Amino acid sequence: MRWLPVFISLALPFGTLAAKKPSSPADTFNDFHAKAISNTPVKLADSSYKKLTASPRDYSVTVLLTAMDPRFGCQLCREFQPEWDLLAKSWLKGDKKAESRIIFSTLDFSDGRDTFISVCSLFKPSIVRLGTNTIILVEPPNRTSAAVLPPTIGPHAVPGVEGPIRFDFTNGPLLADQVHAWLSRHLPDRPHPAVKRPVNYVAWAVGVVSTLGIAGALAKAGPYILPIAQNRNAWAAISLIGILMFTSGHMFNQIRKVPYVAGDGRGGISYFSSGFQNQLGMETQIIAFIYGLLSFSAIALIMKVPRVADAKKQQVWVLLWSAILFLLYSFLLSIFRIKNGGYPFSLPPFM
Amino acid sequence: MAVATASDPSPMQVLADFGKSKSLRTLLRVLILCFIAGAAVSSRLFSVIRFESIIHEFDPWFNFRATKYLVANGFYDFWDWFDDRTWHPLGRVTGGTLYPGLMVTSGAIYHALRALTIPVDIRNICVLLAPAFSGLTAFAAYLLTNEMTTNTSAGLLAAAFMGITPGYISRSVAGSYDNEAIAIFLLVFTFYLWIKALKLGSVLWGALCALFYGYMVASWGGYAFITCLVPLHAFVLICMGRYSTRLYVSYTTWYALGTLASMQIPFVGFLPVRTSEHMPALGIFGFLQLVAFIYYIRSALSGAQFKAFLFVGLGAVFGLALLALVAMTSAGYIAPWSGRFYSLWDTGYAKIHIPIIASVSEHQPTAWPAFFFDLNMLIWLFPAGVYLCFQDLKDEHVFVVVYALFGSYFAGVMVRLMLTLTPIVCVAAAMASSQLLSTFLSVKSPKAKDPGQEDVADSSSKKTKQNAGSLRSASSPYVGVYSFLSKGLVSGIMTIYLLLFVLHCTWVTSNAYSSPSVVLASRMPDGSQHIIDDYREAYQWLRQNTKEDAKIMSWWDYGYQIGGMADRPTLVDNNTWNNTHIATVGKAMSSSEEVSYPIMRQHEVDYVLVVFGGLLGYSGDDINKFLWMVRIAEGIWPDEVSERKFFTPRGEYRVDGEATETMKNSLMYKMSYYNYHTLFPPGQAQDRVRGVRLPDTGPVLNTLDEAFTSENWIIRIYKVKDLDNVGRDHAAAASFERGHKKKKATKKRGPRALRVD
Repeated sequence: MRWLPVFISLALPFGTLAAKKPSSPADTFNDFHAKAISNTPVKLADSSYKKLTASPRDYSVTVLLTAMDPRFGCQLCREFQPEWDLLAKSWLKGDKKAESRIIFSTLDFSDGRDTFISVCSLFKPSIVRLGTNTIILVEPPNRTSAAVLPPTIGPHAVPGVEGPIRFDFTNGPLLADQVHAWLSRHLPDRPHPAVKRPVNYVAWAVGVVSTLGIAGALAKAGPYILPIAQNRNAWAAISLIGILMFTSGHMFNQIRKVPYVAGDGRGGISYFSSGFQNQLGMETQIIAFIYGLLSFSAIALIMKVPRVADAKKQQVWVLLWSAILFLLYSFLLSIFRIKNGGYPFSLPPFM
Repeated sequence: MAVATASDPSPMQVLADFGKSKSLRTLLRVLILCFIAGAAVSSRLFSVIRFESIIHEFDPWFNFRATKYLVANGFYDFWDWFDDRTWHPLGRVTGGTLYPGLMVTSGAIYHALRALTIPVDIRNICVLLAPAFSGLTAFAAYLLTNEMTTNTSAGLLAAAFMGITPGYISRSVAGSYDNEAIAIFLLVFTFYLWIKALKLGSVLWGALCALFYGYMVASWGGYAFITCLVPLHAFVLICMGRYSTRLYVSYTTWYALGTLASMQIPFVGFLPVRTSEHMPALGIFGFLQLVAFIYYIRSALSGAQFKAFLFVGLGAVFGLALLALVAMTSAGYIAPWSGRFYSLWDTGYAKIHIPIIASVSEHQPTAWPAFFFDLNMLIWLFPAGVYLCFQDLKDEHVFVVVYALFGSYFAGVMVRLMLTLTPIVCVAAAMASSQLLSTFLSVKSPKAKDPGQEDVADSSSKKTKQNAGSLRSASSPYVGVYSFLSKGLVSGIMTIYLLLFVLHCTWVTSNAYSSPSVVLASRMPDGSQHIIDDYREAYQWLRQNTKEDAKIMSWWDYGYQIGGMADRPTLVDNNTWNNTHIATVGKAMSSSEEVSYPIMRQHEVDYVLVVFGGLLGYSGDDINKFLWMVRIAEGIWPDEVSERKFFTPRGEYRVDGEATETMKNSLMYKMSYYNYHTLFPPGQAQDRVRGVRLPDTGPVLNTLDEAFTSENWIIRIYKVKDLDNVGRDHAAAASFERGHKKKKATKKRGPRALRVD
């Protein structure tokens, strides 16, 4: 099971974090909203986080806790960041009058280490979860999480919610739409501007130009390409490669994203995974190669050998191809016995 | 040629002459086909011999029940059947939501046998239907292969392969009374008729093809494979410049009549004109009209005019048709690809959006051992056979190539579709092996020529061959095999392989595909067989000890079996048409008792059935399926059910003392482990599936009573308590029963406050 990032909903007051506030909640909101207009989501640091999340609040705050620094090696953080930015931008765009009273923000581990740790330690389970024997405080940077802080006062205040409500995405890739659905559930009675993905003009331009280019090239080079396109040998080769690829489990590799090779636990490489239901990338290539050679020797015996006019030559070819056929099939059976322990059949020499 | 294995040339010659008489050959062929059919049937009888004549697994139980209904109430009642004993309280319009082909077939056989005064039980017909049809499938494979090659022995080999290959046996052993049992025969036979129609350009064969296509549609949802493959074949032929009136006649006949036939099935109805997976067939139909029109115009116009007409006309029509398709899809007249089909292309789709499809093990991608397991040596003879098709590449050979490519892609994406790949593998492999055998088993040897002469002949013939645009490997002239050593060696190897193939098929069938999964078999320490019959024990208990209309709640896997064997109404079953209803059951199973009890009351549940393998080490139990229940429930109620909460902080799925509170409080956990620890001495309680030691105190159930537990604890049935007589909540009542005083009213309520001794 793959662990995807945790989404943390922080409902309600942060008693410990509430610093004394000279300014009113409305001022703080306007302040941060102005920042958000110029650059959303707002980048936070320790002090601004405290200021933003101070109680009382009549607005909501969502925070993405992330660690973009390559040192932490948080692949998910980097994958999710563009989606988060997209969500924040389209929310801001769709809600120009700020009726939903929500601030999107990002807290990076390197900007607000202390806050990060103090927030994360509120959710011990989700923090210890990732590794099995690493130290708790080192772990937060490996993950990305988001939090919502609903207002404490005003019309949208959520009464009666005690402590944080966690929300997890445990499967599937993280898309802005999923987070949007979750936010909408937790922020009722206010506008939820839909996520609008910007039109990717570059991709369109590249697509149109390359289509035209390919069409033009085909039209121009048609007389040269046509013989290849009509060549039976080429199509035969393409079909056989396709069939060999699919029957040796290529689609399984694509869907399950299996590793190419695996260690055997003694520092070496193991080419074949034991177990009927799994396989390695390298393994399927070896199998496809064996299938290919076996088919090719069968083809050679059917098509080529009877067309060799010289009797001696023909004898040599027959011996060669039959030897390949016999040895490889025996080898294939021996590989299959690795995968299926109880399989009783084998052929010499690979007993 | 099957006889030509004797070593002495003179008897061989005699035999060869003997075999030349035409009638004798036909007789031999018929005999061989009969033997193949016999082998195909008998190799599927392992489970009947080992266990008994019993329906297998899950879906067949529904088909069996529907067949009984058909036989008892007649065809029209069956057609209009509304079943109120499933999907309680919704019910199911069964007559309109099933493929009736299978039931009607066995009903017809039943009545035919009755008419012949052969008294036979409908159950035996259902059990033996799949093996019987496998014999027919072998015959259909023989016919199809004979259309591909002039060598009749290839057809016999294909029939033999088709008869015993595990890829087909896996879904057609005696007792697996499922749609596939007859559908594979129909698939192969429809393809045979299509090839025949295409070759002859005959309306009659096209209509026959449409007829069997209609039968196929009535039998199996996999008919979409034909619906997509035939147009694809036609399209490839047009692209190759092979449009002909034969193609036009056969395709239009098939499409028009076949679509009409398929629309007669209530479950299909107007889908052929309203869903995307049927659009290729419709599109090619239109495209063919266009191409035919253009061919007609070409015969009437001059060259230059025709060229201009071709570009403008073809482009405009194609563009307009595409636009119309897009517009109608977005306007909602044509449904986009349904999830199950779409997940074949976008392989990540199902996992995110339709967990219920992803949860079925047949829908997983195929690893290579599965291919080898199901097809053995055919898997590498298959590409060789496809290559041979390129040799003269007639229209029917194009079909083999197209089928081979798409079949292997689909089989790679979904384990279950191995079934649709198997026929073409048998056909192609039979072509390859028969050609190999006939090359190396021919009695005549060519005379050795001297090399100089041969070179001249070679180069001249090369030129003529090259012009024909054939394969490179076929460029030099055919000579034959010279030495006896070569012949003996290659045919010896092939004989060994064929024998090994038979052994492999028998072994696989006997070991992997012959378990009814309703009855389990295990070995005693002394090697004797021990039958574990908990399922039937429990269903029999339900049948005898509960009211006729007692509603049983269980996970959907067991719905059909409960309906078929226990004859009791169920909440959900294997016809997973209503995801929300399934999620409701998932929620009831994965929530605490306080949440589940109202759900069960609302659905009038009387009994809850769980499958628990902890005592026996039976890994297919509900605790192992539990995460899917949670996931499906979470898809509908993300706020109330959370998969995350079933994992420990370290991300482990545990059932022992370290399990999370949510896990320990879930109804499924409680029902599975209730009283389980009392089987063992203190501290020794063990779950043999998960391999963990369980805590000494077991879970406490307040709202359910244990009603029945089968011999090996595989099935546990609980009765849902009625409301308390004096209005207490169940937790308080149960606590009182256990001898605790009633708590002060001021104390907070809820089950967490319960003390457990």
